[in-house]
Amino acid sequence: MSDYVRLHREDDPVTRGLRELHAPPAAESYWSELEARIMARIAEAEPAWWSELGRWARPALVAAAVLVIAAGVLVFRTREEATQIAYEDVLAAPTPISLEGTARPASLRGLHGEREETLRFLITY
Amino acid sequence: MVPSPADDAARERELVVAAQRGSTEAFAALVRLHQRRAYGVARAVVMTHEDAEDAVQDGFLHAYRALDRFRPDQPFGAWLYRIISNAALDLVRRRKVRDAEQLPDSVPLPFRDPAEADELRNRLAEALKALTDRQRSVLVLHDVEGFTHGEIGSMLGIPEGTARSDLHHARAALRHLLEDIRSD
Repeated sequence: MSDYVRLHREDDPVTRGLRELHAPPAAESYWSELEARIMARIAEAEPAWWSELGRWARPALVAAAVLVIAAGVLVFRTREEATQIAYEDVLAAPTPISLEGTARPASLRGLHGEREETLRFLITY
Repeated sequence: MVPSPADDAARERELVVAAQRGSTEAFAALVRLHQRRAYGVARAVVMTHEDAEDAVQDGFLHAYRALDRFRPDQPFGAWLYRIISNAALDLVRRRKVRDAEQLPDSVPLPFRDPAEADELRNRLAEALKALTDRQRSVLVLHDVEGFTHGEIGSMLGIPEGTARSDLHHARAALRHLLEDIRSD
């Protein structure tokens, strides 16, 4: 007879003994009490979850504030850069000043024209 | 009318989904449904009733915490019993560490439960101690709780073939240790 059959037969004394040794408590009240204990432990564990969340709330708020500040600085810098580029573009563009100077009528040159001529003379010699 | 297994499975799925949404009443109903079997699984792994109780409580607590990771289309029992057996295995490991750290002053006398006064049960209890933890767990899970080799392998984190081989060796050892009783 194989081990399986010998140890697994319902009337086998060893199988019967094994089942008796490992039999769960029969009283219904035991199971109600065990259920109550399990649920009490779960209820105890729940506030721990909230306090864990609370523990992380402060660092999370600080991290969020740092992120908001960093984002603000980034946006400000980007805008400043754009403004700077716009100014530089305007300054780098050719101005009509020289043309204006040559096109200026002789009557308007006046003192300025004389001063320019004097300066040119001094620079040349 | 007696509810069919399909009705039971649907009802269980409803309870699982409700528990996942935060209903403690639904989880309590799942505890009521599974605590006896869970006790059987834990009792197969640990040596005493008290440790089995502790493992069941630990296991249900772990299951509650991990509930959001459970997919309701899977069998809840198999998932739960794996958690319960892990809790029981953890308890056995902790007991071993504690026992190794504590040096006994004297050799402890074996506990005599009046309900276990009968000779066969005492001999059987002693014979079970001669098996390895895993062999004993596999034997009880299979022969007492009726789990398959595959289910046992999944619960104990071992291949199905190992569970089968452990069962064979456990039975051979028991047969050898209880030869005189078995020859009746």
